[in-house]
Amino acid sequence: MGTTASQLPKESLSEYQELTFLTKQEILLAHRRFTELLEGDERNHPNPRVPMDAILTLTELKSNPFKKRICQVFSTSENRDGSLTFEDFLDLLSAFSDSATLEIKSHYAFRIFDFDDDGTLDYGDLEKLVNCLTGETADTRLSSEEMRQLISNILDESDIDKDGTVNLSEFQHVISRSPDFVSSFKIVL
Amino acid sequence: MTIEQQRQGLAFSGSGHPTDQESLRFRRVSSRMSTQIYHEPNSSTSLAQEEEQSGSEPTLELRNTVFPMALKKAARQVQQMQVPAQFNGGSWKQKRIKFVRQFKSNVREFLYFFSLWGKTLQKIGGNFGGGVQSYFIFLRFLVILNFVSFLLIAGFVLIPSIVFRSVGIKPESSKADVSSECLKYDPNPQGLVVFYEFFLDLLSGTGFMEYSYLFYGYYNNSVIVTSLVGSHFSYNIPLAYLLTAVFYFAFCLICIIVRMGKAARVAVTTGGSDVRSYSMIVFTGWDYGCLGSKATKLKQRNIYYRLQVDLEEERLKKHAASLTLCNKVTLHSLRVLMFFVAVGLIVATFLAIARATTFSQENSHVPGILGLFYTYLPSIVITLGNFLVPLLCDQIALLEKYPPSATVVVALLRAVVLRLVSLGILLFTLWKQIMCHDSRDKCNLCHYNHEDYQCWETSVGQEMYKLTLFDLLVSIALLVLVEFPRRMVVDHWSCKLTQWVGRQEFVVPSNVLGLVYGQTVVWTGALFCPLLPLINTVKFVILFYCKKITLFYNCRPALRTFRSTSSAIFFLAVLLFGWILALVVMIYSVAVIHPSFACGPFRSFFRMWKIVPESFSTLPEGARDFLFFIGSQAFSIPLFAISCVFMCYFIALASIYGKSVAMLRAQLKLAGQDKQFLVKQIEKMKPLSPQHNEGEQD
Repeated sequence: MGTTASQLPKESLSEYQELTFLTKQEILLAHRRFTELLEGDERNHPNPRVPMDAILTLTELKSNPFKKRICQVFSTSENRDGSLTFEDFLDLLSAFSDSATLEIKSHYAFRIFDFDDDGTLDYGDLEKLVNCLTGETADTRLSSEEMRQLISNILDESDIDKDGTVNLSEFQHVISRSPDFVSSFKIVL
Repeated sequence: MTIEQQRQGLAFSGSGHPTDQESLRFRRVSSRMSTQIYHEPNSSTSLAQEEEQSGSEPTLELRNTVFPMALKKAARQVQQMQVPAQFNGGSWKQKRIKFVRQFKSNVREFLYFFSLWGKTLQKIGGNFGGGVQSYFIFLRFLVILNFVSFLLIAGFVLIPSIVFRSVGIKPESSKADVSSECLKYDPNPQGLVVFYEFFLDLLSGTGFMEYSYLFYGYYNNSVIVTSLVGSHFSYNIPLAYLLTAVFYFAFCLICIIVRMGKAARVAVTTGGSDVRSYSMIVFTGWDYGCLGSKATKLKQRNIYYRLQVDLEEERLKKHAASLTLCNKVTLHSLRVLMFFVAVGLIVATFLAIARATTFSQENSHVPGILGLFYTYLPSIVITLGNFLVPLLCDQIALLEKYPPSATVVVALLRAVVLRLVSLGILLFTLWKQIMCHDSRDKCNLCHYNHEDYQCWETSVGQEMYKLTLFDLLVSIALLVLVEFPRRMVVDHWSCKLTQWVGRQEFVVPSNVLGLVYGQTVVWTGALFCPLLPLINTVKFVILFYCKKITLFYNCRPALRTFRSTSSAIFFLAVLLFGWILALVVMIYSVAVIHPSFACGPFRSFFRMWKIVPESFSTLPEGARDFLFFIGSQAFSIPLFAISCVFMCYFIALASIYGKSVAMLRAQLKLAGQDKQFLVKQIEKMKPLSPQHNEGEQD
């Protein structure tokens, strides 16, 4: 399990190839970028864990408004601090890769948008989501009136069981009608 | 506590597939889950059930699960322990499936390495979005299409012509019974040529360029039949010329339709629903490939703008629904008036083009720079018209007050009509002159206007060559003279005016229409100027790099983005429309107009098409009978009947699928209503039986 020193053993490589959607080149590249984030002494650790601040320095994630949520969703740490091991990092890249299925992507997109981790997207989650999308600066925030109109429209369209929240199946139903989602939910190193 | 929650979660869900609640709970459990797996009979049975249901590919299923890596590895170990229990045939099948999958992914990786400009397109998409990227993908498609068509033409027409000419085979003179007037063709200038004439000739395709492989007039009507000892070689250049042109058109049509099919499949599966709905924008609007804080800020502004526009459109609609009758009548009459104004503008452009073409053809013998200007006059008028009229139509659209989405579609339709029909007007005017509709007496001798056009096909080819070249020169001139200075002025000199004008915006629709126009010109001219696809390939490659440079240095991304998937079908539909226009021209030239007597491969034929029946008669007996049979009624009527049967079958299948999709959608809605009903019932029954509920809450 995990990586030893800075070399990826061959059985691990083929195992990761089977368990993720990444190709061999992509896994090796991910391993190289991951070890660059480690500090010197940590590289000899059997299963190193990179803190969230180091992950957020990657160019592909640096300016993404959902970067913190992405780290928190894929992190398997006990104290939920968003730190990632190499395998978490591979899970992340696999979900965001070219060949991942729509189900995987929509599942993880739902978890990323669920800011309070309660399993549904309620008014607070949707409000935070819209603010992330439009930016936090004063001139790109929607007014509270517009926000209310927007969220009530969203709930009208996607909340099928009318419980005031969007659950995973309703979310996946909306996603399945979008032709651009699979190609836009992509991070390539 | 966590193990208990897990057990409860699994008992509650009951099925083999992990539900969303269950998988979320798995996430919250600590990383020592791998050992817990072995102590959890429920979870391993759920995985085993999943493996049974997935059939012969359990390993693939693991990729599709949403467990963290540690769980997946443990599950894989469990599966591998179970594998030896299966007999050899099963594991061989698994190995074969795995091998095929590996092979496919290797091939895909290999091909991606060869794909043209792949990295550049990714960078463009990350920084400017999918709409701009779709323009460059379309451009790449056209480059490859033109290059492959050029290879086709080179292989069957150009290289044999070069070979035969170098061997020294002379063209046969026309055997038709016509006066020597019609056989006169003198493209080469007399005596010494002034130096700048060389440059002018290069730009207008006359002089040294006219009698060359570039144009139709140079090709011979040689029919080589050799029967040496042991080998029988025959090559019929006129037949090859015609059939290559026909196959070129068919090849382009197949490419467009295949590409359209791919795009249409995506559109149909998402079919019918409103892609601009709010949930769609909010849930799927973000592009995770966006790199850099500048691109991110622009994308955020973009989404903000879209949301605002949609919210405003909704408010406007509510407002419009509440308009009085009087207001509605004025609005609709204003729209009708503006429509006629737009039509009037477009018709005025067409008249200007027709007049310019006639004037240019009449004054084509004026020497020097003025002569060059006269020959380029049609191209200049077309370009000016295509530039000014959409600007004016935009101003008209402000008065029409359509909702924003309808405005974009209307503007696009007007631009398409303007571009393609202006090309059609140019060709129509040329045809009128060649067939001398105005002055009948010129055509009496040779069935075409041999006084002005000794080799009319070459003239048409020259016109298309000039259009292509002018298009490229205008793009480069705009880049150098307008876009770079504009950026420098806006960046270094800040005043109210420059801020209002702002940096250039990369407008996708008009750029795509430019590409379609260029491609239509090439299709129209390919019969008369065989090297035109090669020239077009080079032109599009230059255009790619020019547009890339201007995109990265001069442009800011458009606030109103263009939807990439629905627009792909629109671009291809417009391209198809251009193809049909070129096809009409080709059919007309091949079947109606008499080929020139003095030049070209068809100089001895009554119509270009006549070569086919004549070569037909030289075919061996068996082939001829077979082809006659295919063309006869005994074959075509049953074929037609069978294809009608197949078409009815597919139409029935499509309507059944449509109905089942609608039924499933209704079922989904009903399931939601059932859920609501059951929730209400539970609420009602709660106060009636408190003991039951206490037991369930554990």
